[in-house]
This record gives sequence, structure tokens and C-alpha cells, in this order.
Amino acid sequence: MREKESWMDRLDKKRDEIDEKLAKKEINLPIEFIAGIVFLVLGLVVLLIMPSQVPVSDTDVVNGRVFPKLLMVVMMIFSGVLLLKELYNVYVKKRPWTTKTVNLLIEVKALEILAILLLTYVICRVTDLFVIGAIFCCLGFLVYFRCRKKSYYAITLTAAVLIWAAFCFGLNVSF
Amino acid sequence: MLEFIGPALEHLFTLENFLWMNLGVFIGSVFAAVPGLTVILCVILFLPFTYKMTAIPGMMFLLGIYCAGGYGGSVSAILINTPGTPHAAATMMDGHPLSQKGRTKAALKIALYASTFGGVFSALMLLFLGPQVAEVAAQLGTAEYFMVCLFGLTIIAGVSGKSMIKGIIAACVGLLISCIGADPMTSYDRFTLGIPRLYLGLDLAICLIGLFALVEILAKAEKKPGPLILDAEKMHDNGKISKEEYKRLLRPTLLSSIIGVMVGIIPGTGASEASWFSYDRAKAMSKHKEEFGHGSVEGIAAAEAANNAVTGATLIPLLTMGIPGDGTVAIMLSALMINGLNPGLSLFTTQGDIMYAIMIGLIFVNLFMLLQGSFLTKLFAKVVSIPQEILTPIIVLFCFAGAYSVNKNYFDVGVALIFAIIAWLLRKLEMPAVPILLGMVLGNMTETNFRRALLISNGNPAIFVSSIYCIIFIVLTVLAVATLIRSKMKEAKAGIKK
Repeated sequence: MREKESWMDRLDKKRDEIDEKLAKKEINLPIEFIAGIVFLVLGLVVLLIMPSQVPVSDTDVVNGRVFPKLLMVVMMIFSGVLLLKELYNVYVKKRPWTTKTVNLLIEVKALEILAILLLTYVICRVTDLFVIGAIFCCLGFLVYFRCRKKSYYAITLTAAVLIWAAFCFGLNVSF
Repeated sequence: MLEFIGPALEHLFTLENFLWMNLGVFIGSVFAAVPGLTVILCVILFLPFTYKMTAIPGMMFLLGIYCAGGYGGSVSAILINTPGTPHAAATMMDGHPLSQKGRTKAALKIALYASTFGGVFSALMLLFLGPQVAEVAAQLGTAEYFMVCLFGLTIIAGVSGKSMIKGIIAACVGLLISCIGADPMTSYDRFTLGIPRLYLGLDLAICLIGLFALVEILAKAEKKPGPLILDAEKMHDNGKISKEEYKRLLRPTLLSSIIGVMVGIIPGTGASEASWFSYDRAKAMSKHKEEFGHGSVEGIAAAEAANNAVTGATLIPLLTMGIPGDGTVAIMLSALMINGLNPGLSLFTTQGDIMYAIMIGLIFVNLFMLLQGSFLTKLFAKVVSIPQEILTPIIVLFCFAGAYSVNKNYFDVGVALIFAIIAWLLRKLEMPAVPILLGMVLGNMTETNFRRALLISNGNPAIFVSSIYCIIFIVLTVLAVATLIRSKMKEAKAGIKK
């Protein structure tokens, strides 16, 4: 048990060192500008792939492309407005860019959580056994939260098995 | 109406229904009381359980969660100055100060009584207004339905998030997602990217698990999991409310209930708007304005009555036209439709017994909320202290199991994960997620009515201004947009001055 604790201590120490470095790193994202560009491009891409993705018949009076095309045009217009509004504020009104500060530590932590979720998914899919993925998920999150309490491990693992049982026997979902 | 009451009561008064009601109320109260867990998340997580149920117990369970969620948020707002749900923020303004004055139990009692009054009032409004609105809705044609959808989407785009432009873009994204799969009119596949499973489209519940539930797990990266200490021992006062206080509560409670109903009926708006608006109104009309912000009993009652009065009202556009009043009831639509209950006048005529059972059931849901709130508040306070370390993996497992159970396939779990990543990126760009949800819910209805109207008119868009109902909805949409733009500009100006 002592060995396990020291392994966790070492891991936590290393994480603290990395966290300390990352916590100071911040990026200011010009969100209005990025959002404008992203959705303008998305609209354009959807319009470009539409002929290959939405088959139509010559006899259709109002075919399946009309509505999504209209949507994309509306989306591109509003993305353009968002973009122009921001550029007008910055270059004509001399206001600062509308930014959002992104902290690298938070993003890395979000990636760690995402990794736990993805690994849980992969384990469930490969083994075709939900309960194995569920156990991994519980352990993954408890390690992520740096949890040392044995009772928490016992409670979450029991909950994982109970959730599996509830879906399996209560809802007839075999996984 | 009267001919359905007898059979409806017969359907409703079963042990099964009352058990599900109470379970829903309990789960909803607990979820809403824990800061960070929302009612919408709770409904998403427990939706798969209703797939095996018939319409009445399924809806009773979900309505139990929904209504109790309106009250549950006030528990942590009063006890630890942190709203359990966003709409409890207005309750916090006076709830916590009153608790600090040593009147915690009294604050909780006022919140509970006002919530129950608002909820029952709203349920009665649903019972009496629902069938009338359904009759009007039955007169609407395809062009009018399209305009109603447009109106709902515009409102939600306007009130969600800081920017109306971003709201409209998000609504377009939601509508585009609804286009994935078979064309509703020709059955040709659209945007399936060669993936056969996408032919049936993306299931709403699966997308919502990613958009609203799993993204909250990713958001845990932003917060340190500190212990939430809700000291149940803090509730040591006798909770007495004086006669004079009861008298003062009457007017704001009634007025806020009316405001809540009116706000709830408008598609796309919700409890937060209702509670803040009512709080402001109550303050403006009070003889004790100086008490607001320092533990005013009227402030608590106004906010709580309004946010619970929204619950029945949001069901009016949902049950009559299929247009959800807010995000949470949008999810309930799937629980209804899975049982073959399609919104519209027929719901109140051919399936009137079931519909009236659900509407009367809503009154009982609120009464059980009063009962559980009176006896179990101490327990709710203890339950909300569950540490994040335990809660997080449990929520994830519910999400995964829920996504899998819809079609019994891991492909859907993958889809939920993709939506979680998209939602996380959208959050970074401060894009609101609720318009995406409404876009997905209303997508099929909007497109079908838009295309049918054009087919009828041989492609002439003049059909969209051809009837009085169309013109009314155009005027309402323009008025709503103008009001929203004006208020956003005011906010922006105030921000610049600061």
C-alpha cells in the first residue's frame, strides 16, 4: 500500500510541476473574429459539398437542397455581419479586439478529461463490455481528481456496477 | 373537456404513476440543489428510463424532475449563496441574506410555498388554456406553422447568450444538424458522408448528451473540486412566517405566477427570464423596496413563484403545436412521441384521456413537491454535499449507458463524444448551445412546413404573408427582434460606460 501511495505522490508532484508552468501561460483569442471566420467557412464548405451530399430529382418543385441552402446563406450573412462588426469596432472605432483569455492549464486538464472519456469509449467498444470501461472511467477520474480516499474508490466502483446492472436488468440493455 | 376528466383520473390514479412522480420530484430536487448540475442535464440522463414506460408514468417522472428542479435550485441558493440552477440566481438575492439573519428555514419555506403556488397555477393554466390554444393551432396552415417556428427560433436566438448574431448562427447550426439523414419529403439521404447509420438521422437524445451533459464533464477542468458544505444544522430556526409576512407574499406571488405563465408560453424563453423579470416587478411594486437584496420575503416569493409558473406554461406550445417553450421540455417531446403522442389538436381529442391525465398529474407533481420539500429539505442539503470526485464518473457512466441504450450501439456513444467536443469548442467562442437544441428540435417541422407551403404556392414566397396569422407572427418576430436589439444595445452601452 505504501508503494502505491508513493507512486501516486510522485505522479502528483510531477503534475504539480507541469501545472505550475502551464498556469502562467495564457492566450487571448479574438473570439468574434474567429467565430465569424469559422462559420463563414463552414457555410461555404456545406454549400460546396451539397451537390454531392444531397441528391435531387429534376421533377422536384422544391427539392431537398432548398432549405439547407437557405440556412447556409443566412448563416454566412450573419457570420459576415459578426466579422464586419468586429473589424469596424477595431479599425474605425479604435476599440480593442473582443477577446477571451484561454488558460493553457485549463485546456490541458480538459484534454486529460477528454482522454479519459475517449479511452472509456475505446475500452467499451473493443471489449464490448460496458462494465470494464465503467471501472476504468471511475479509476481514471479518481486519479484525475487526485483522490486518496479508499471509500471513494469503493463507492464509485460500486456505483459503476449498479449503473450497469440498472441498464442491463432494468432496461434490457445487454452490454 | 369534461368527458375526458373521468377516464383521465382513472388512468392517473395508479400506484405506479404516483411512485414515478415522487421519484422524479426527489431526483429533480437533488439534482437542482447541487450547483453545476442542471435540470436539463437531469432530464437528459433519465430520459432513457422512460423509453420502457407508457406515456403517463414516463411523463409524470420527467415532469417531477422538471418541476422539482424549479424549487431545488433555491436550496443551495439560500444555504450557501450559490444557485443550484441558473434560474435560482434571483432567489439567492434575498434567500441567502434572510438565511444569514438566522431565518434559513423560513426562507426555504417561502421558496417552497411560492414554488408550489406558481407550479399549481401554471398547471391549471395548462389545463384550461391548452385545449383552447390547440383549437387555434388547428387552424394554422403550413405557412403559418413555418412562421411560428421562425418566431420561436428568433426569440431563443435573441435571449440565449450575449450576442443575438451568435444565437442566430447557432440556431442555423441546429437546423442544419436536423437536415442530416433522410429527406422528410423525398427520402433521399442528405449529408450522410457515406455513413449508412446516418440515414436515420442523429437521435436528439444522443446529441443532447454530448451538447449538455458530457460538455459539463469537460468543464470540470475549469473548477477545482472543493467540498460543498451544506450545513443542515444551520436550519435551527423555527421557520415561522408571520401573518403580516403572509399578507405581503400574496401579491408578488400571484403577479409573478402570471408573469411566469406569460413568459413560459413564449417559445424559447424560460425560467431565468421569468424569475428576474418578476423579481424586478416585485421590487418596483413593493412598499418595502429597501429590504430587497437584504432578505426580502417578497423577493424570494416573486423569484420562486415565477420560475415554477413557467413549468406548465412551457408545455402549452409543446402540446398544442410541438414547439417547446424551453430546452428541457424540448427533450420531453421525445418521451411523448415515442408513445405515439404527436402534438396538436388530436392530442386533446382522440387521446384526450391520456393528455388530461398528464395535465392533471402536473398539479399532483407540484403537491408532492410541497410534501417532499416540507419533510426532506434537510436530506437534500446533505445529499448536495456529495463530492465531485464521486459524482463526475457516475454522470459520465449515465451518459455513456444512456447514449448506448437508445439504439444499442457504441456508434451513438461516439456521436455523443463528438458533440461534447463541438460544444466545448463552441463554449470557447461563447456560442450558446440552447439555440442549437431548439434548431434540432424544430428542424424537421420548420423545413417540412416551409417546403410544403412553397409546393402549395408553386414556389411563390408570397404565401408567407398571405394570411392574418402569418402577418401576426411576422409582426411579433419583428417586435421581438427590435426589443432584443434595443436591450442588447443598452447593455453594451452600459458595459462601455463601466
